[in-house]
Amino acid sequence: MRRANITAALALAGLSIFLLFEAGRFNFGNLRVPQTGFFPKALVTLLLLLSLVLLVQALGQKEIERSSVKIAADGWNRIAATLATLIGFALVLEWLGFLLSTFLLMILLLRAIEAPKWSKVIIVALMTALISYGLFAWLLGVPLPAGVLGI
Amino acid sequence: MAIGFGVALTPMNLLFCFLGSLVGTLVGVLPGLGPVGAVAFLLSLTFKMEPASAIIMLAGIYYGAMYGGSTTSILVNIPGETASVVTCLDGYRMARQGRAGAALGISAFGSFIAGTFGVIGLMFLAPLLGRAALSFGPAEYFALTLAGLTLVSYLTQGSMVKALIMAVLGLLAGTVGMDPISGEERFTYGTLTLRDGLGLVPVAMGLFGVAEILENLTVIATQSVYQAKIQGLLPNRKDWRDSAWPIARGSVLGFFLGILPGPGPVIASFVSYAMEKRLSRYPEKFGTGVIEGVAGPEAANNSATAGSFIPLLSLGIPTSAIMALFMGALMIHGIQPGPLFIAKYPELFWGFIASMYVGNAMLLVLNLPLIGIWVRLLKTPYVILFPLILLFCLIGVYSLNANVAEIIIMLAFGVLGFFLRRVGFEGAPFILAMVLGPIMETSLRQSLLISRGNFMIFINRPICAVLITLTAAFLIWPMFKRKRKGD
Repeated sequence: MRRANITAALALAGLSIFLLFEAGRFNFGNLRVPQTGFFPKALVTLLLLLSLVLLVQALGQKEIERSSVKIAADGWNRIAATLATLIGFALVLEWLGFLLSTFLLMILLLRAIEAPKWSKVIIVALMTALISYGLFAWLLGVPLPAGVLGI
Repeated sequence: MAIGFGVALTPMNLLFCFLGSLVGTLVGVLPGLGPVGAVAFLLSLTFKMEPASAIIMLAGIYYGAMYGGSTTSILVNIPGETASVVTCLDGYRMARQGRAGAALGISAFGSFIAGTFGVIGLMFLAPLLGRAALSFGPAEYFALTLAGLTLVSYLTQGSMVKALIMAVLGLLAGTVGMDPISGEERFTYGTLTLRDGLGLVPVAMGLFGVAEILENLTVIATQSVYQAKIQGLLPNRKDWRDSAWPIARGSVLGFFLGILPGPGPVIASFVSYAMEKRLSRYPEKFGTGVIEGVAGPEAANNSATAGSFIPLLSLGIPTSAIMALFMGALMIHGIQPGPLFIAKYPELFWGFIASMYVGNAMLLVLNLPLIGIWVRLLKTPYVILFPLILLFCLIGVYSLNANVAEIIIMLAFGVLGFFLRRVGFEGAPFILAMVLGPIMETSLRQSLLISRGNFMIFINRPICAVLITLTAAFLIWPMFKRKRKGD
């Protein structure tokens, strides 16, 4: 945990310095008439101070047992595959349309999390795509992208 | 009140109340999506509804989840949401001793009694506080938001510095978009999506929906549902005698703890458990399956749910992540919660109150006879459940503005939330601060304009002075505590 805390503190300090420059572009005004930059700049300064406090605390900390369980390799694989699928969905959604994207999304997610039989994967994915389309597009009237299929 | 039931009992609103309670119970029962994520998801579907229906449904989810969460705690030793963590201690042991029925029964009845008590309290206290708040100026509002955020950080489990960092980051996230006073753009980098600020729904669904699922994906646990036959859902006379006082105490305690900023229901359930243990003639038996350990906390978390609406409806200040979402739901419909809320929208306020009575009764009916169905749902394999939840998150965010960029924002906050949580940074102070940010900034700048840059404005006014003193106390207290421990 000590190393994680030090990393987090340094990252936050870095972020606040970056934001200090970014916020510097706004007009600060003065205490009597605070302008756009006043609140962000005050917050960034506070963030910098807090990250330094965290750093000092972490440096004084002894390395004790890790508070969060270490993730095994297959855990990382599942997370990476899931995230890649979700980002892929966002990228193709408007091009492929809701039905097709959801079908593919479900196939990939089911395979990413566990690997059930292909027949089961296809059936679940198909049913999810159709039922969710019915539920959201027809019942709830949510506008969903039609994409290449045109529906 | 008559107007209220007039609103709540229309067929449409009854349906939404039922749907909310049902979804809430579902969310409470199933692991992987908490009430915050569920409210965020359904928020996007409430745009086209009447404001009353929208808030009735969303409230149903919130208190429904409190009911449903206890079911899994008792039967599987997995709390469906954090407010029912304590219920595991004695509830699960009761189930192992073959008394699952009594535990489920008392938690449903206790929740019903406490929920009703909480609603009555809300009915009386909210208008009172609302009237008092009419005299609040910007300085009071600034002090109130500051004290609220500090208290939430103080109450967060784990490091307070980390909670404060999350609160400041949340406030910064709240500054993205147009300046609330001058209208200048900040941190938008020329993108249209960010001009109205970071969306509450994508951020909340990322931090509480996607991050939660990612966390669950780290280890795929094998599910085991306790197979004992559930019989006799009605607690016997001795159970009632043992539970009567814990329920009564839990109701009162929970209600007042619910009003305070922070995760009210969670804290209420823990405090109630500790109190019952202390008051008990046989404290050593707590943890082995005593009914008081289920009745008290379950009552407390339900009346806290009602209590937590008070600051939002009377002051316009949300005190927890979920209340921040409620505020979002009201503002989408152009309704500003605050001191004038009850006077301006009486049918909305009373309709909402009445719907909570109705909803509590519905939940009693939903939970007891249908317990078999909820248990069967628990057996839904994760491999199907998680993709479905993720799909709902994606559709929920997309349906807001049909904007793919918001999906990306949600995923980014999902990844961020996942890593931050692993290093001990909680999402709740962030989301709360993000919503409070604009209120805080506006009130701070207005106060300074009024006082011509003199910070004494926050000390010269009595209400401010009390709140600022409280804030300082919450900030300084942990330092002393640590020092004493160090000695």
